[in-house]
Amino acid sequence: MAGSPYDPSRAPVAYGRRAVPQLFSELQQQEAPRRLRALASLCDLLRDPERISCTVSGGFLEQLKVLLKDEDSIVRAKTCELLHLLTAHRIGRQALLSSSFLPHLSELMDDSSSSCRRNVQRVLNRLTLMPAGAEALLTLVPKLMLKLREEEEDVQVLLLSTLSSCSCLDPLPALASDGVSLLLHKLSDSSTDIRREATAALMALSVCEDGMRQVCEEEEVLPVLVDLLRDEDVEVQANAAGVIMYAAITNEGKQQCLDLDVIPILLSLVSQDGEEEKDKERKKALVMYSLRALTALAEAPQGRCLLLEQLPLLGRRSEAAEEDQDIRRNAQNAVRVITWTPCNTGEL
Amino acid sequence: MAFVSPTKRDQNGSYTFSSRPRPVEDRSKYREPPSEQTQSNYGNIMYDRRVVRGNTYAQQIIPTTALPDPVEVQRQQEIRRRTVAAKRAREQCRTRTPEALQGRKHIDVQTDLYLEELSDVIVASDIECQTDAFLDKPATPLFIPATSGKDVETQIEEGELFDFDREVQALLELLVGKTVEQSLEEVMEEEELAGLRAQQRAFRELRNNELEEVLRLKEQERRRSKEKERRVAQQKEVLRKEREVAEKIAARAFTQQYLADLLPAVFTSLRSHGYFYDPVEKDIETNFFPWLMAEVNNSLEKRYTARALLDTIIDDVAQKRQEAFKDTQ
Repeated sequence: MAGSPYDPSRAPVAYGRRAVPQLFSELQQQEAPRRLRALASLCDLLRDPERISCTVSGGFLEQLKVLLKDEDSIVRAKTCELLHLLTAHRIGRQALLSSSFLPHLSELMDDSSSSCRRNVQRVLNRLTLMPAGAEALLTLVPKLMLKLREEEEDVQVLLLSTLSSCSCLDPLPALASDGVSLLLHKLSDSSTDIRREATAALMALSVCEDGMRQVCEEEEVLPVLVDLLRDEDVEVQANAAGVIMYAAITNEGKQQCLDLDVIPILLSLVSQDGEEEKDKERKKALVMYSLRALTALAEAPQGRCLLLEQLPLLGRRSEAAEEDQDIRRNAQNAVRVITWTPCNTGEL
Repeated sequence: MAFVSPTKRDQNGSYTFSSRPRPVEDRSKYREPPSEQTQSNYGNIMYDRRVVRGNTYAQQIIPTTALPDPVEVQRQQEIRRRTVAAKRAREQCRTRTPEALQGRKHIDVQTDLYLEELSDVIVASDIECQTDAFLDKPATPLFIPATSGKDVETQIEEGELFDFDREVQALLELLVGKTVEQSLEEVMEEEELAGLRAQQRAFRELRNNELEEVLRLKEQERRRSKEKERRVAQQKEVLRKEREVAEKIAARAFTQQYLADLLPAVFTSLRSHGYFYDPVEKDIETNFFPWLMAEVNNSLEKRYTARALLDTIIDDVAQKRQEAFKDTQ
């Protein structure tokens, strides 16, 4: 508990609105243990939004910049943790972006202490909650991709999450740094979190034309994704279906997917047998993306032949009995595309 | 002889042994003739040779084998002989006081300052002392000072000064409250962030959905427009080809017709231009006729010159006549 005199690891906290300024003046002391204690108390205090606004308006962030270059690695790690707490609120995030912390943070990504690197990645991850933050991080994307090869598992999850948020805004930088082949390695990782984030990042990348083309050209990608459709985690399945749905828009993608015999798998995902109520919530994205993928594949003649036989299954989903409006719309769309003939172009 | 109860198995099957206590028999050196062995003499155990006396720490342990190893026995005899010999040798080498001269005798003498009588008896005297037994101290009389002023009594009961439960309540509230407050803040923060992320995720799902639809329709549109263009181009190509073919046919027909009487026309024109000639005729024409004409010309020239001459003569004559006429006028 902050401020208790019996806690030797925390500096004493002043009362009321003197708390934050006094702790920051404590941070300017020469001895490292005192600074550490002050940092620990600050970490406890800054969970309160009012304290954060006090910090930001008092202009204490410059001191934190100095502390980021401190010699003691624990001090650096604690300062990053403090920044992590700051980014929990919008004021903090805006303040971080406007005070140009990003160059310092990108230097710290190469730090020797692993806890420091982990905290830096946490800060960057939280920054992407804001669109302006994601935009600012676009310049750092090549460096993040380099780091992806080296870091440990939990830091990789954070990196992948940051990358997918940035790529939702603009996938080009990530694609330029050879993103697809890098993510391909991560797709077959043993950890569920890494697979989930990697597939989400790949889905963000495959939105643009260049990405779609690369996903189809790289040899291993689509087979691995088809395997991931049968994964245990629902989110991984949903994201894999998302990538396939985007890839199937292009002609080569359609052809490759049909070669890999992906339609029966997608149909089994869409079918409703034995679903419980709570599963429906989580599976909504999966069903939506699978329906869209089927729609895209139905535009190819082979796909259409296969899907014409399965129309009743899709018809069940498109009826009014289906509660979710989005799924119903997707299913109706799919049925319409499957049964399209050149004579009724007017409807389409 | 031995009052030993037979070894019997216990109820559990374990082995038991019990015997009545009996005194140890005296053992004589030589074995008694067998007939007298039944008599048992009990001796004093203190005078029994078999009992070990004194300190046993340096005791020689009797070897377990009844018959000692002859080698062992020999070796021990050797050792004994050697120690005895060494002792004797030491005794011999040791220097002793020389023997007393004749008529004298060695006597032990004390050379200390004060001679003391050596006797075994140590002079000792016994002195006793005994403290008196403690008498009971009489009780001190109570000191009661003279009272002055008012007497007031007060007594602090069990829970009056300090009620632990009430005092601790404030502290506990503070401790628990601060902890709960801090943890509430942290939990709220996490929940807020989780809510934010969930919202973002839901938005992203819908966005992906719609975006895919948009991209698919765009791609479809592109494909269809490309297809249309290709078909239109194909059709145009077909038309162009048809037209070309028609033109070619027309041209061919016209040419055929045009060139139908080409050959006779050519021949006629050639013939008319004189490319097909009869060589005799040609020869006559080229060689004979010019000569003929030239000759004719010549002869005609001659005639003309003759006529011209004649004309000049006539003219001359006429002139002269005229002049002559004029002259005559």
